[in-house]
Amino acid sequence: MSKRNTKYSIERKKAQWGWIFITPSLIIFSLFNFYPILNALYTSLFKKKLLSLKPPTFIGLHNYAYLLDSPDFWNSIRATVVFTIGTFVPLLIFSLLFAVFIMSRKRFQKFFQMAYYSPAVLSSVVAAAIWLIIFDPRGLANQWLNIIMNSPGIDHNWLANSIMVQLSTILVYGWKYVGYFTIIFIVGLASIPKSIYEAAKIDGGNNWKNFWYITLPLLKPTTILVSIMSMLQCLKTFSTQYLFTQGGAPLAPINVITLNVYHTAIRDHRIGRASAMSIILFIMMLVFTWMQFRSSRADEITY
Amino acid sequence: MSQKLQLNQLKKRGIFQQSIIIDLLIWAFLIITALFVLAPTIFMFTASFMPANDILKMPYRWIPKSFYWQNFWQGIRGNDGSFIYIRNIFNSFIVAAVVSATTVFFSALAGFGLAKYYFKGRNLVFMIIMATMMIPFEAIMIPLYLVTTKLGLQDSYAGLIAPFLVNAFGIFLMRQYFITFPDEILDAARIDGASELMIFRSIILPNSIPAVATLAILIFKAQWDNLLWPLLVVQSEEMKTIPLYIVKFMAEKHTDEGAMMAVAAIASIPILLVFFKLSKYFLGGAAIYSSRKG
Repeated sequence: MSKRNTKYSIERKKAQWGWIFITPSLIIFSLFNFYPILNALYTSLFKKKLLSLKPPTFIGLHNYAYLLDSPDFWNSIRATVVFTIGTFVPLLIFSLLFAVFIMSRKRFQKFFQMAYYSPAVLSSVVAAAIWLIIFDPRGLANQWLNIIMNSPGIDHNWLANSIMVQLSTILVYGWKYVGYFTIIFIVGLASIPKSIYEAAKIDGGNNWKNFWYITLPLLKPTTILVSIMSMLQCLKTFSTQYLFTQGGAPLAPINVITLNVYHTAIRDHRIGRASAMSIILFIMMLVFTWMQFRSSRADEITY
Repeated sequence: MSQKLQLNQLKKRGIFQQSIIIDLLIWAFLIITALFVLAPTIFMFTASFMPANDILKMPYRWIPKSFYWQNFWQGIRGNDGSFIYIRNIFNSFIVAAVVSATTVFFSALAGFGLAKYYFKGRNLVFMIIMATMMIPFEAIMIPLYLVTTKLGLQDSYAGLIAPFLVNAFGIFLMRQYFITFPDEILDAARIDGASELMIFRSIILPNSIPAVATLAILIFKAQWDNLLWPLLVVQSEEMKTIPLYIVKFMAEKHTDEGAMMAVAAIASIPILLVFFKLSKYFLGGAAIYSSRKG
């Protein structure tokens, strides 16, 4: 009986220590995550101006109604969706190709991994600074494209034309993050047991068949993970678009939601409306995250 | 019998030749794309050695004629000769280092608590912490900004650091790492009279260096890269971080591409050096995401 009692007290002591260990993080989270998101939700129901002495006035869902009626906000949604889809599809294809090809090599695996990953190490501001010069009318982008298309002296308006500037941001983003997703695919590939390929070899499979009937189906969880992760990242893109507009590119084609939030809050001082925008962005991302959890649970693979 | 063998060998050779061609094509694809991926970085370093009007010459000279060191001087000196870039680099270091340290510390604490202690509501707490991963920073930046100004923390190190003291991914990473840690060792230490804090400090921390290093590097890199938050919270030149200096330099010195690239190169050299030295932690950090469902 006494033995049980001591054990009980040890368990209780351990439970206390568990709470002690997690309390600092919980306090920080409530201050810097939970409170702000609730505050954003609350503020989005008010008409509130930054730096204004007037008390905010409650206007219900008017901010949301305004946004859903505003062509400027719909343009932001369009810009964000175009950027997200335009980036994540090539990102997925190229990172998968790189990973499969790197893993098929016997040598220089590490070298290629590091080469593709290296842009992710540079900061996004540095990346934008480099590419702004590359996209200069006299810059490398025009030079190379003209060599490939055999069209000397043509300016492709990388930063001026509204379609080209969207393509440019996609190119910068894809360049920066392709290595990151390549690594994730490589981890996924490495977890496929070699014995499966050996069995396929006995059954007379070739490389191409192996890829279609073994590698790709077994990589499905990784593929879903990479798609959702890259989509989530693309939805909240900010730096590239911000710096491109700072560098003289037109705002409208690349006015993604985060950029719009920033401008609405900091330049126009409309805190309530900006909060409503960020809540809409949050909901969009929640839907994607929910999809990720659902799909990753449904697709557990055992070898 | 021998005929059949020969036929087989011939067939094999055919397939073999075909596979050599495919093999070469794959090598070519990898090398060309790798060159394309590396080109902008190489461009940055070569252009940082060139005077501005050489950089936009057609065709681009990948090997600079001479080293035009004035770019670096210009970049560091700044337009007003205040050498504020040095201070800004220092700020970036401070913020990134402090954020890495606090994130590692609090994440390890919480991760350890969640992995090795059983208490009521543990799973709920874990789920709540994981839920914060779904809150994008971009959605809470305005309330955060308002809170920071209200607390009078704008334009200070505290303001730059506060929102990033700990993050859910760090806790998740440490928890996953500690779960595999054998309980017997912890119990043995308890029998020897070690307190829970001592266990954390002298058994857990020293034995989690790979996870700590991965997390620290991940966080350091993210802070080194952070633009949005400093953009909101910093007003004075003295408190700016590297990304803000580059943005300002770009706006003011739009035409001096050489100095621009020198500034960018200076910002990139430290992080690239760390990358070459500790690449396994960088690559490991990326790979951890794939175990996120666990």
